[in-house]
Amino acid sequence: MSKESRLRASVNQKLTEMGERERLKELLRAKLTECGWKDQMKANCKAVIKEKGLEHVTVEDLVVDITPKGRALVPDSVKKELLHRIRAFLAQHAT
Amino acid sequence: MKMEEVSMSSLDNSKLEALAQDILSDLVEDACLGLCFEVHRAVKQGYFFLDDTDQESMRDFEIVDQPGLDVFGQVYNQWKNKECVCPNCSRSIAASRFAPHLEKCLGMGRNSSRIANRRIVTGNNTNNKSESDQEDNDDVNDNDWSYGAEKKAKKRKSDKNPNSPRRSKSFKHKSSMMGPRRRIDNQESPRMLMKDEAFSQ
Repeated sequence: MSKESRLRASVNQKLTEMGERERLKELLRAKLTECGWKDQMKANCKAVIKEKGLEHVTVEDLVVDITPKGRALVPDSVKKELLHRIRAFLAQHAT
Repeated sequence: MKMEEVSMSSLDNSKLEALAQDILSDLVEDACLGLCFEVHRAVKQGYFFLDDTDQESMRDFEIVDQPGLDVFGQVYNQWKNKECVCPNCSRSIAASRFAPHLEKCLGMGRNSSRIANRRIVTGNNTNNKSESDQEDNDDVNDNDWSYGAEKKAKKRKSDKNPNSPRRSKSFKHKSSMMGPRRRIDNQESPRMLMKDEAFSQ
């Protein structure tokens, strides 16, 4: 294992163990709902469902459509805030 | 050596930055997947389209944006100019003044008994003007409790609307217990006398 991948593994482990990952998840979800991202994505889902049919739509259909759009449509302010928190965590626990 | 350390730390920094970006990317993907699962479950359980209404209902309940109407389409200053007839005194009263008027009229509000008392006092004074030349006048000017004041106090109590629920307790017991109740009359009459003095001047 290279030094870098060891560092990653230990950071990820700390993130989970200390509950920070869960907190970050909740924060992100709240921010995305607040800024309307969730409603936007739901509208996209409706389009997929209407296309594939209510009875036959699968999780895979939704994932394949939503994930790239979702990633692209996250507002910059939300990204900045999350990154700020992540960097703070790393500064404290990765060195 | 220092140079290397600096470059090492900047390399670390860029690595840390990359790590931070990766972590963010993971979190975003997690949010997307979470949404997909949520939506899929709603679709399969049948509650995904519940909050949608058909077009016709949407048009029926659309927000109204006309002058003079509120968002529901109702006229909102409809009751400003309406008048109601008071069941007690049969006068026509403006709608916004109706409730306070009823309070005074029926003698049931907080201040209605005070106002009624004041009116009775002024009513007594205007009625008794012709009698004030006689000996009653001297009695009225006395600060002590006098028979004249008691007469007025008695009159005041009986002049109250007998149907009003605010009849004072002393009125009920007046016939049976004159002795101990006198103290209450005493307290009230000096006040009444002062008022009379003010008015009779």
